[in-house]
Amino acid sequence: MKDALARSPAPLLLTLAGGLLAASAVGAQKPVTLLNVSYDPTRELYQDVNQAFAAQWKAKTGQTVTVRMSHGGSGKQARSVIDGLEADVVTLALAYDIDEIAARGGLLPANWQSRLPQNSTPYTSTIVLLVRKGNPKRIRDWGDLIRPGVSVISANPKTSGGARWNYLAAWAWALRQPGGDEAKARAFVTSLYKNVPVLDAGARGSTTTFVERGIGDVLIAWENEALLAIRELGPDKFEIVAPSLSILAEPPVAVVDRVAKKRGTAAMAQAYLEFLYTPEGQELAAKNYYRPRNTAVAAKYASQFPKLTLITIDQVFGGWAKAQRTHFADGGVFDQIYASR
Amino acid sequence: MSLPSAGRAVLVLALLLGAPRGAPAQQDSTTRDSLSARVDALEQRLRVLTRLRELEADSAREAARTRPGVAAGADGFVLRSADGRWRLRVGGYFQADGRFYLHDSLALGINSLIIRRARPIVEGTVFQYFDFRIMPDFGNGQPTIYEAYLEARLLPALAIRAGKYKPPIGLERLQSVTDVRFIERGFPTNLVPNRDVGFQASGEFGGGVLAYAVGVFNGVPDLGFGDVDASDAKEVAGRLFAVPFIRRGRHAPFDLGVGVAGSIGNERGTVAAPGTSALRTPGQLTAFRYRSNGTVAGTTIEDGRRSRIEPQAYLYRGSFGLLAQYTVSRHTVRRDSAIAKIRHSGWQVAASLFLTGEKASFRSVTPKKLFDPRAGHWGALEIAARVQETSVADAAFPVFADPGASVQRIRAWGIGANWHLARGVKLMVDYERATFLKGATAGNRPPEQFLATRLQTVF
Repeated sequence: MKDALARSPAPLLLTLAGGLLAASAVGAQKPVTLLNVSYDPTRELYQDVNQAFAAQWKAKTGQTVTVRMSHGGSGKQARSVIDGLEADVVTLALAYDIDEIAARGGLLPANWQSRLPQNSTPYTSTIVLLVRKGNPKRIRDWGDLIRPGVSVISANPKTSGGARWNYLAAWAWALRQPGGDEAKARAFVTSLYKNVPVLDAGARGSTTTFVERGIGDVLIAWENEALLAIRELGPDKFEIVAPSLSILAEPPVAVVDRVAKKRGTAAMAQAYLEFLYTPEGQELAAKNYYRPRNTAVAAKYASQFPKLTLITIDQVFGGWAKAQRTHFADGGVFDQIYASR
Repeated sequence: MSLPSAGRAVLVLALLLGAPRGAPAQQDSTTRDSLSARVDALEQRLRVLTRLRELEADSAREAARTRPGVAAGADGFVLRSADGRWRLRVGGYFQADGRFYLHDSLALGINSLIIRRARPIVEGTVFQYFDFRIMPDFGNGQPTIYEAYLEARLLPALAIRAGKYKPPIGLERLQSVTDVRFIERGFPTNLVPNRDVGFQASGEFGGGVLAYAVGVFNGVPDLGFGDVDASDAKEVAGRLFAVPFIRRGRHAPFDLGVGVAGSIGNERGTVAAPGTSALRTPGQLTAFRYRSNGTVAGTTIEDGRRSRIEPQAYLYRGSFGLLAQYTVSRHTVRRDSAIAKIRHSGWQVAASLFLTGEKASFRSVTPKKLFDPRAGHWGALEIAARVQETSVADAAFPVFADPGASVQRIRAWGIGANWHLARGVKLMVDYERATFLKGATAGNRPPEQFLATRLQTVF
């Protein structure tokens, strides 16, 4: 043996190369963890998605993947990612928050929204009103929220993406009323926030305030959150009021390139987000009360969503950047309104 | 926080009882509805207030988690990033000593009050794993950078340090000077380096049961303190130290530490910088030195291999403490054409006892009752005693050292008392008597009786 090796090192080299290949093959099967930094009410959705994606990925590649979640107010989550929270993907409440991660953190390119279909928004939702069973305060539309004695629950638009959708939906409704203009819309929204006794940091927190703590007469909520509350707590406790007009909420998703590249998870992170667009992913979205993009799946679940007239942020507010600057930036309209309460 | 239905009924009933009697049924119904509405409104307000308190508590928790920390206390002044990966501590210590030489008929020592040490310390951590420390000393009337180093703590078993610091040899030298039981360290410390510049790898295994340190240093004489090197020769120093019961924590039978340390290297002195070592008395007077008159023929220089070895141990049980070390330092010296290997040695056994019941330790001790005379608390009282000896081999005399001026051996015993007012704040008083072999033109140098006092503050 010793003599053979001395004569030719080829067998030894082949053995070593084989060992290295085997080791690298084992390395490819090494379990991987992804971190999805998301907004408040997506807990149930991504529990289902993560489980289904992990099973699909395992079947396809043999690799075990665990998706860890971080939930919170969308704006707050974006700041955490900018400050160093190593998210492989972000699935936030609105595009502006991911724009901030691109602009301030430089963690993904500015054109991130064009990298996946439908502006990187695999599902949509809207804003509805959730009231207690029997609707004791007879709330039928946005206009009822400013009546004296009506207590309204909504989260803080400074930290919650959902709350920013709430605010803009109310503003848009006021604008669209006969004789409506910016001043009247502002007066309406000012009156509305006078009826808000508690501002939670995130949408899930305001659901807790309304549903579990029994505070308030009406919760301005994500449609999916309102439907979930009814499913979890029973239709005998709450009911949904569909306002005459609401806003098309488009929660986007994106791979955080710099983190995913550094962690070697870019391909998996991309596959994870693409999974959301598959029929299976769309089914899971619909089952968790998000409006699916896939027309077949949308048709299948159409009955669970109320019929609403929806405006878009581009139509009424000129896009997220402008809306953010005007309404939610420090010293913006919301700050002025809330300070004057 | 919602009122139970029975409670609501009782509340409404109680309010109704306060209503006028004999009112028509219609009026009763209206009043009942009105009161019910008021109860509902009050209940809502109570729930809102409770929820607001919850949210405030959440915000406070979040703020505490994300806000950088600032603290001031016994550990100095500390700034810390929210994630703990960055830290800056500003602290220091101050020692004001009194030195008195009793029955000093030859006036060998000068009674004096001195600022022995005045050392501000700036230390911290950057990027979680990298520590730094800068410690100047303004004591003895001479500002000096006493320590300055960087350390990368890569793993529990591996940290890399570079800069100027204590080489890992002498046990009492490695003990913080604010924690030593006597005002001046013992003779073995005179035979090891004080501070030196170099690189060191260190770490521990088994949760601290076994620690090691090994490094390469410029090399300094015994008790030496170096910033730059006068020769190309370097010195390797290392230490292996075991604390076998450390993992048993409070259930350990005693706190025992035992180890061995040493160094080996070469030194090439010159007439201008001989690189030789000296011996000091307990009162810090030089009692042994090699010959030096500024000429090649009349100056002993270090010229060749220099090595040190020190078995060392401490033991603490309850209020009692014991520290022992034995150090041998071997030198190759030359005077003109004469070369010799000279052995210096020293040992000490030092014991201490807290009379007020505190648990003794190699490190600082906090009194059970901090000094607070208004509350009748006086801190902690500790007594200490030690015996020690140091000597130089016969071969040093008379060619390399003058027996009429340098002693060959010092024996000493000493007692001391330490009044700990708070952690690191103490008053110390020591008495030490030393006798000498040789060191005088006729016979032996007269005994030294040394009384020392110290006021120490650590911040």
